[in-house]
Amino acid sequence: MATLRIYDELCKGAEECGICLYVCKEEVFQPSETLNQKGYRPPVVVNEDQCTQCENCMIFCPDLAIVVSEKKRKKGSK
Amino acid sequence: MNELVHPYHRFIRPTVTHTTFCPGCGDGTVAQSILRAIDGLGMDMDDFVFVSGIGCAAWIPSPLFNADVLHTTHGRPIAFAFGIKMGLPDKKVMVVSGDGDLVAIGGNHLIQNARRNIEMVVLCVNNGIYGMTGGQAAPTTPMGVKTTTTPYGAFENFFEDISGLVIAAGASFVARWTTAHPRQLTASIKKAIQKKGFAFIEVISQCPVQFGRKMGMGNAIQMLEDYKKRSISIKEAKKLSPEELKDRMVVGEFVDLDKPEMVEEVTRMIRRASGEAQEAVDTGRG
Amino acid sequence: MGEKRVRTGRYFMMGNVACAEGALAAGCEFAAGYPITPATEIANHLAEKLPQVGGAFFQMEDEISSIAAVIGASWAGKKAMTVTSGPGISLMLENIGFAIGVETPCVIVNVQRGAPTTGMPTIGIQGDMVQAKHGSHGDYEIIALCPSSPQEMFDHTVIAFNYAEKYRTPVFLLSDAFVGHMREEVVIPEAEKIETVCRNIPEPGTDPLKMKGFLDEDVAPMPIFGKGFKAHVTSSCHDEYGKRNLIDISALDKFVRRLSNKILKHKEEITLVERDYEDAEIVLVSYGGVSRAAAAAASQARKRGIPVGTLRLITVWPFPGEEIEKMARRAKQVIVLENNLGQVYPYIKAEAAHFAEVSFLPPRLVGEIQDPEDILRKIEEVSK
Repeated sequence: MATLRIYDELCKGAEECGICLYVCKEEVFQPSETLNQKGYRPPVVVNEDQCTQCENCMIFCPDLAIVVSEKKRKKGSK
Repeated sequence: MNELVHPYHRFIRPTVTHTTFCPGCGDGTVAQSILRAIDGLGMDMDDFVFVSGIGCAAWIPSPLFNADVLHTTHGRPIAFAFGIKMGLPDKKVMVVSGDGDLVAIGGNHLIQNARRNIEMVVLCVNNGIYGMTGGQAAPTTPMGVKTTTTPYGAFENFFEDISGLVIAAGASFVARWTTAHPRQLTASIKKAIQKKGFAFIEVISQCPVQFGRKMGMGNAIQMLEDYKKRSISIKEAKKLSPEELKDRMVVGEFVDLDKPEMVEEVTRMIRRASGEAQEAVDTGRG
Repeated sequence: MGEKRVRTGRYFMMGNVACAEGALAAGCEFAAGYPITPATEIANHLAEKLPQVGGAFFQMEDEISSIAAVIGASWAGKKAMTVTSGPGISLMLENIGFAIGVETPCVIVNVQRGAPTTGMPTIGIQGDMVQAKHGSHGDYEIIALCPSSPQEMFDHTVIAFNYAEKYRTPVFLLSDAFVGHMREEVVIPEAEKIETVCRNIPEPGTDPLKMKGFLDEDVAPMPIFGKGFKAHVTSSCHDEYGKRNLIDISALDKFVRRLSNKILKHKEEITLVERDYEDAEIVLVSYGGVSRAAAAAASQARKRGIPVGTLRLITVWPFPGEEIEKMARRAKQVIVLENNLGQVYPYIKAEAAHFAEVSFLPPRLVGEIQDPEDILRKIEEVSK
C-alpha cells in the first residue's frame, strides 16, 4: 500500500495554497505539471521514500486532499 | 491493492464535492481539527448538532459536516444553540463561527452564555477581518491595518484578547491556538467537547485573500510562518513582561475549571418544581 | 401529565395569564423572552408553571436571543414560544424571517402597546398589525390571530400552537395591553376536549439523501435534530433537500413562492372570522378588543332600527380577502374600526370598495378603543 494519496480534485493548488509543500520537512512533494479540473496545480509525490509519515501534510491540508497511511508504530514516533 | 482513504471523508456530507474556502484558508485546517477530535474521542457525527452564523468560518459545518447543522443569522448562533442544547441536553452542541460573527455583532450572546456556563463548545475562528464581504475591518483588526473600510489604516483600538473577555465572563474552559498548531488545537477541542460547561476556543487563522494578499500580509505560508514566530505558550509568556509580550500571540489552555453548569441546574430546578407540583396534586392542593 | 397541563375549571382570569394557561394546554415545553410591559404576566406565569410539567421559561439577554433560542428549541423537537411587545418584535424581526425561511413552528405573542418607539407601555393599541405581516425583509406569508377577550387569549394560544405545528411556521398572537390586562371569565375545558396538533416528522431511518424536508406547499415533514436525519438547515436560499443554492435564480423563485404558497394554499382552513351581518346594510369590520365596541354599537343601532352588522377578523393574516368581498357584496356601507390610524384599512378597502362605500373610524384618541356612541354617530352619518 502506498504511503500517500493525493485527492487531486479536492486540491486548491500547490501555488495558490501550497501548505503541504511548506509543512513537509522532507520535500516529498512538488507542484504537478498538470492542472486539475478546477484549474489548480495539485502536488505530486516525488520523494515517497523520504516520507516519515509525520502526517503534517494531511493535518494541515485545508481541503482534506491528502491522506498518509498510518505509521507502523515505531518506538519514539509521535 | 487497498487504496488509501482519508479517515475523515466519512464525516463529510455526501453532496459536498469540495470545501468552499479560498486556497490556503485556515478554515479548512480548523474543520479537519474538529473532525479529528470527534474521531479521536470515538464519537459519531450523530452525537452532535452544529450551529453557525454568517461568514466564511460559518461554512465549516454548513454544509461540510454530515450532521444536524443549523446555519443561522449573523451573530446569533450561540443564542440558537442555547435553545437546541436545552431541547437536546444529551447531544453535544458545537458553534463554529468567525470573530465578526461571535465578537462584533454577536458579542453579548458570547458574554452572556459564558456567564451562564451552559454546556456547549464555541469555536471562534479569528482571522481579524471580514472575509466574505470583501475585507472590511473587524473589532479584531489591528490598529493601522488598511482594510476596505479603513483605507487610511484602522483607527480603533481592537480586541487583542477575546479569550480574556470570555474568561472574565465566566467560561469553564478557554483555549487559544493558531492554525500553525492543529495538533494542539485538536487536543483542546477534545477537552472542550468533554467539558461540562461553556468551552471556548479561539483559533487565530489566516485569511490569505482579504487579510493576506490585499492588506499586504502575505500568502498562507507567510501568515503561518508569522504565527509560528509570534506565538508563545502561556507557560513561557508568564516569564515575560508585558513589554516583551507586545505583538506576541499567547497560546495554550488558559482556563479549565469546574463550576455549576446551566443545563444541570435547570434539570435540578425542573425536578424540584415538578416534584412540588405532583405533591400538590397528591395532597389535593392542586 | 394532561391534568397537570390543563387547569380545567371556570376562572376570573387576566388575559395574559389565560394566554400562558393556553400555552400549557397546547403542549408548550419551551419559552424564552425578555421582560417587557405589558407582556410580563405571561412570562411570569410560564416561569412558574412550565417547570412543573417538565419545561422551562428562560429569560434571555434580549429579544433577539429569545426568538433565536425558541427556534433552536423548536428544531430540537420542542413546542416553543416567546412573549413580548412591539419593541421586542422590532428586535426579533430578522430571526422571525429566519423561522419562516427554514419553516420553524413557534408561537410569538405580541401584547401590543402604545407606539411608535418606546411609546406608552401600559396603553393598548393595534399598532403592530402590518409589522407582523411585513416587518421582516422579503416576501412572506404569516399567520396572525387577534384575541378580543381573556377567553380568547386562552383559546387562540391553543390554535396558534396548532397552526404553527401543522403548517411549520411562526404564528403571531396579536393581543394588546387592554386584552392582555383585562380580567374576565375564562373557562378551561377538560384536557381531552382540547385539540392539540403535533408536527409531522420523517419516518425514523429515512435516508438523509432522499429526505425532502423543505419547500413543500403541503408542508414537508420536519427533519428535527437528534434523530439522525443529518438535517442541513440554512436560511440561505435552498432546495427541498435543504441544499444551499446561491447561484440559480430559479431556485430563489421556488424558495420565495413555495414558502408563501404553503400558507396561501391553506388559507381557507386557516381563516377564522365571526360573521353577523345577515340583512345588514352597514357592516362594521374590526378585530381584537375593538370588536367589543363594534358589537355594542351594532346592537344599539339595530335597536334603533338601523340594519347594522359586524364582521370580526379573528385571523388578520393571511388576509381574508375573500371574506371581505363576500361581506361587501351584500353591504352598502362598510365601516372599518381599528385602534390605530388605519393599518388593515387599506387591505379591507382594496377588497370591499368595488362593492360598497368604505370608510374608516379611528378612536377619538389613539390608544383609546372607540366609544360605541362615536360608532353610532358614524353609522347615522353614513346611513343618511
